[in-house]
Amino acid sequence: MENLLKIDNIRFTIGVNTGRVEVSGLLEEGGVLNICGPSGSGKTTLLRILAKLKETGGGSVFLQGKPWTDFSPSGWHRKVYYLAQKPAIFDGTVEENLKKPFELAAVKTDLRFDLDRAARLMERLYLPQELLTRDARTLSGGESSRVALVRALLVEPSVLLLDEPLAALDRTAASAVIELIAEWLEETGGRGAALVSHTGDIGGLSCCSILDLGGKEGDLSE
Amino acid sequence: MNSGVVPISNFQLALSVILVVIAGGISAALRLGLLKSLAWGTVRTFIQLTFIGYVLKYVFSANNLWLIFVIIVVMCFIAARASVRRTPNVPRYPVTLAFWSLLASTVLVGFIVVRVIINPVPWYSARIVIPIFGMILGNSMNGIALSLDRLYGESYARAGEIEALLAFGATPWEAIRGCVHDAMRAGMTPTINSLMVVGLVSLPGMMTGQILGGADPHEAVRYQIVVMLMISAAVAIGCLLLVGFSYKRLFTPDGALREEIFKSRQ
Repeated sequence: MENLLKIDNIRFTIGVNTGRVEVSGLLEEGGVLNICGPSGSGKTTLLRILAKLKETGGGSVFLQGKPWTDFSPSGWHRKVYYLAQKPAIFDGTVEENLKKPFELAAVKTDLRFDLDRAARLMERLYLPQELLTRDARTLSGGESSRVALVRALLVEPSVLLLDEPLAALDRTAASAVIELIAEWLEETGGRGAALVSHTGDIGGLSCCSILDLGGKEGDLSE
Repeated sequence: MNSGVVPISNFQLALSVILVVIAGGISAALRLGLLKSLAWGTVRTFIQLTFIGYVLKYVFSANNLWLIFVIIVVMCFIAARASVRRTPNVPRYPVTLAFWSLLASTVLVGFIVVRVIINPVPWYSARIVIPIFGMILGNSMNGIALSLDRLYGESYARAGEIEALLAFGATPWEAIRGCVHDAMRAGMTPTINSLMVVGLVSLPGMMTGQILGGADPHEAVRYQIVVMLMISAAVAIGCLLLVGFSYKRLFTPDGALREEIFKSRQ
């Protein structure tokens, strides 16, 4: 399998400058990188750095062999998408929330919003189509998470960075999410997913590699 | 109909302190803790305005273009500092950005009003330029302070949304546009509201001053209309410039939202 994302000595601090972490790792095409560790070990920080939403203290990331410095910020974000544990829900209906990325220049140049595809993805995650016309701010935590995942899949990134994707979900919904991610990975080449979880247990997803931050300083690898 | 200004003697001026005593009495009775500020503000009012009166007398008689320009620049700097201090949401904001926004909007709008609309002889008449530019500055500084404070306040409150848009590939401008929109509205709304009620709720200052000075009310009203519209233009331009200079400061060179924005909460 080809290397999709290579994390090369990414350095950052956790807490209030209480711990310095240095991380290296590999995400292969079609694979999953499971980033695990206790609370405060830097899992979310690492994901945000990989997504270029937070500055790093050093190191580099390569996407299909190309260093991230070769990408513009919005170009990188189109390829490497970060889904927060508590995803942002905008004013408006669920449909308007799903359409939100398609208002952006970087997205609408090569993608159109596909309502049918959105509806199919929602159905897979046990979200009824009637939800499309509902005020998105009235959604439960679990519904918001699933709507945000649908939105993420619609913009077709190469790498999905998922921060605790199963946290707000019951067992049925969690299984549906895992199944959908597995299918998405296999659907076409050039895709991968990095997931954060507390315990390392992400159900049926077969992990290619694990990054255990474990609360320790120093070089932490697979 | 120009019957001239009704003069106020020093004794009559001193009597106006009665008005402050009334305000001070209310503060004391309700224990508002404003007595000291009121007293100090009154002293400063007397000193500053008396000083300005002598300065203006000299400036008007000299009527020198460069002196007038220096005075305007100094006024802009003082206004910029005052604006930045009125922004509780905005830490360590460089006064220079506020200064350039105010200077550009004031000079642009002021020049149009003085040179094109009023067109005195000479066009840079201190008696016209300084009051006009002063009015523009006084209102613009409030507008830009409101805009700036709102921009940062909205950014703190909507940091999650901004970051979500960046994550989709939004440029910093696309991600912050909603906050900029709200900031501009916050800066311009008070001016627009005053356009709605001018003359109905109170007579505005300039018009009042001219009428007290014996001017024909029709003439005073014309000036006041020009002033109201010039203020709305200057506030809009000033807010646009300042918000335009400011929004980029919320992002790192890599286009990520600065960590301070996540950490700052009102």
